[in-house]
Amino acid sequence: MIGKIKANWRVTMLIIIVLAALVVLFVPAFDASEEQIGNESEQAQGLTNLQYGLDLAGGTRIRAPLIGMTATGVEFGGDSEAEVAAAVAEELPDTGTTDIIARQEFEDEPGTVEVVDPDVSESEFADAMDRAGYEYDEIQDVLTDETHDEAIEVLEGKVNQAGLSGATVQRADDPTGGTFIVVEVPGEDRQDVLDLIQERGEVRVDIYHDSDGDGNYTTEQEALTRDDFQSISTARQSDESGPHVPVTVREDSAEEFQQKAVETGLAQEGGSQCTYDENPESTDPCLLLVVDGEIVNSFGMNPGLADSMRGGSWAQDPSFILTTTSFEEAQRVSVNLRAGALPAELDIFGAGTTSFISPTQGEQFQTNALLVGILSVLTVAGVVFARYREPKVALPMIVTAFSEVIILLGFAAYLGYPLDLAVIAGFIAVIGTGVDDLIIIADEVMAQGDVSSRKVFDSRFKKAFWVIGVAAGTTIIAMSPLAVLSLGDLRGFAIFTILGVLVGVLITRPAYGDILRHLMTNR
Amino acid sequence: MVDIAVPEVDYTQYSNRQLVAVPLVMLAVALLVIFGWYVMTGAPANLGLEFTGGTELRIDVEGDDPRGQIDEAFSAEPQSVQQVAADGAYIVSFREGEISSSELEQEANDAGFEIQTIDQVSASFGGDTQILALGGIAAAFLGMSLIVFGMFRTFVPSIAVVASAFSDIMIPLAMMNLLGIDLTLGTVAALLMLIGYSVDSDILLNNSILRRTGDFYESTHRAMRTGVTMTLTSMAAMAVMTVLSYLFGIQIMTAIGLILVVGLAADLMNTYLLNVSLLRWYVHEGVKR
Repeated sequence: MIGKIKANWRVTMLIIIVLAALVVLFVPAFDASEEQIGNESEQAQGLTNLQYGLDLAGGTRIRAPLIGMTATGVEFGGDSEAEVAAAVAEELPDTGTTDIIARQEFEDEPGTVEVVDPDVSESEFADAMDRAGYEYDEIQDVLTDETHDEAIEVLEGKVNQAGLSGATVQRADDPTGGTFIVVEVPGEDRQDVLDLIQERGEVRVDIYHDSDGDGNYTTEQEALTRDDFQSISTARQSDESGPHVPVTVREDSAEEFQQKAVETGLAQEGGSQCTYDENPESTDPCLLLVVDGEIVNSFGMNPGLADSMRGGSWAQDPSFILTTTSFEEAQRVSVNLRAGALPAELDIFGAGTTSFISPTQGEQFQTNALLVGILSVLTVAGVVFARYREPKVALPMIVTAFSEVIILLGFAAYLGYPLDLAVIAGFIAVIGTGVDDLIIIADEVMAQGDVSSRKVFDSRFKKAFWVIGVAAGTTIIAMSPLAVLSLGDLRGFAIFTILGVLVGVLITRPAYGDILRHLMTNR
Repeated sequence: MVDIAVPEVDYTQYSNRQLVAVPLVMLAVALLVIFGWYVMTGAPANLGLEFTGGTELRIDVEGDDPRGQIDEAFSAEPQSVQQVAADGAYIVSFREGEISSSELEQEANDAGFEIQTIDQVSASFGGDTQILALGGIAAAFLGMSLIVFGMFRTFVPSIAVVASAFSDIMIPLAMMNLLGIDLTLGTVAALLMLIGYSVDSDILLNNSILRRTGDFYESTHRAMRTGVTMTLTSMAAMAVMTVLSYLFGIQIMTAIGLILVVGLAADLMNTYLLNVSLLRWYVHEGVKR
């Protein structure tokens, strides 16, 4: 028995690997799907541990670069990051400090200055740097790695806060120097995802007032920003205050805000009635809720809150609500406040791509693609039977080809690689080349009559293997550019074709040789 | 069951020149079509959405006269409208232009169409992808050539393999132009896949003729028996994949399948006409020199 296993070790290995692949595919403990963001994800609860890509699961994928430029090798000359950012922003007419990011990792070493305002051109940026008096090496059309990392973190926060389960945010570089951010959200509509990530989501609260009573209103900007909040609740809806987001202000900011509210007259006796929308020139003082520079709502202060501000007791228990005009708006404000603002905007329509597949369509693609795959394999089987007319040759061929597919599916499940249409097309192509190679082996071995001795068999098998090896080498070389380049869907196709060729040459084809030898020489 | 008998071609009846003529004429026509396309359109093939930028929607349209409804619903002129055979959905594509994909989505929703898929690619992204894809094909072809030359270490047999692989890619490319199939990422993958398939049967033939003792014609027939079986098997699988995925409207699989069917047919011709005659010349005359 042991001798037999030893003599047929290639077949034994094939059986072990196929069994391992089946275990990975079907035993729930090996489910790799839990590593994604949003643990409560309901996906991948099917029969197998396979993960489906967006093509087959449905959902939205957005792939876009961040807008902005970086000046590298900037001499800060002893100035702090904030000072540099402020100085450069000063030299650009319509650009605020939130659009300039200065970074210096070590003191006395050159740093970087990034501008993320889409309206600033490269020459304007260069001029501003010169006027601000900072020397730099060059201006690049891409933002720094740190900014990309921050953007990814914020985007992950946003999709999580919005309750989108199973979403992923990744960075993808392509060899022409482009850097993209790829956001994939299963089961979600395109427009909803766009609404969530398209804007930077910089939220602030301004106070609009006319405290000196001369009829000229002024806006006290950034009375409250994200950093001033201790906690931010999810959006609520109530009869009394409509859609709103409850927040708590940090202790150290609360005193200051309380003082401002009193000084500007916001917390005047009887509270303030805001009529900013109807007649901004004759309203009580207002709080303005501003998202990305746009006023999304204005509201006053009720008498009770105003009283406690004036009395100074509010700062002891500084809770507060931000009211909005709709519940969706409240949700957006809450998500933006909790996840923070994107350091730069995504250039989705200028240099990106978006795709959406409805979940029902994805399900249909799943069934259909499976059907296409099965029928293609059956066709191969039919042709092979028609050609050899001998089950002894044809049957092991088909079994071997199938085991190749099972091993590949096992790999996909083990790696947690999401299957999509291109990967399935790759599988079918792999079966094609796989069977080709089995035909070479069978023909070579059976050429010129019976193979009686093991020696003859081995020498013929070796010859056949030379051809297969060279062919496999060329296929791997031909597909490797696709596996490396970030050409969207095709990466999966290439990776699985290469993997399939390797599995074929190293595992399944030698085993087929053993099976064939057993069947041919034992008679 | 059908009996697949690989035909025995009597090569002795034809001169090398006669044998080479057919594949060379086909290649010349293919190159002419591709060149003509380049002169007329500025690109060697019809570039698909991924390369030009634009928006493609797959929508369900209820009610009468779906085409008319589609024309009415969108404020931009669609570049193409195709119907999917299996479920009757429509694939409507728009070139990148004055109307944004969000507006198109809105218009489709307003018209009561059910959106199954949306793909949107911006023009500059498409331009970069084009360069990448071309570079990928060139790198793959170069890598393949190096391996082949490294393996055979003689000029004529190596160039025979490389030339037939080249032709195997050019003929389907020209055919895509004539049939109006767009060059997409899927078809680029199929073209790369062809390099692998093409080299398979060529190496088998070269190996059989050069590394074996025995008569040239006998070796050729033996290699042909195996090679033709291989190619036909793959073609059958790909043909089934093409037809089914066309019916189901799975575009990427249809494209990959179709290119492979045509490319494999071209490979049969190139391997057993072009490659055989080059090898015959090499074995009978080239070696003696």
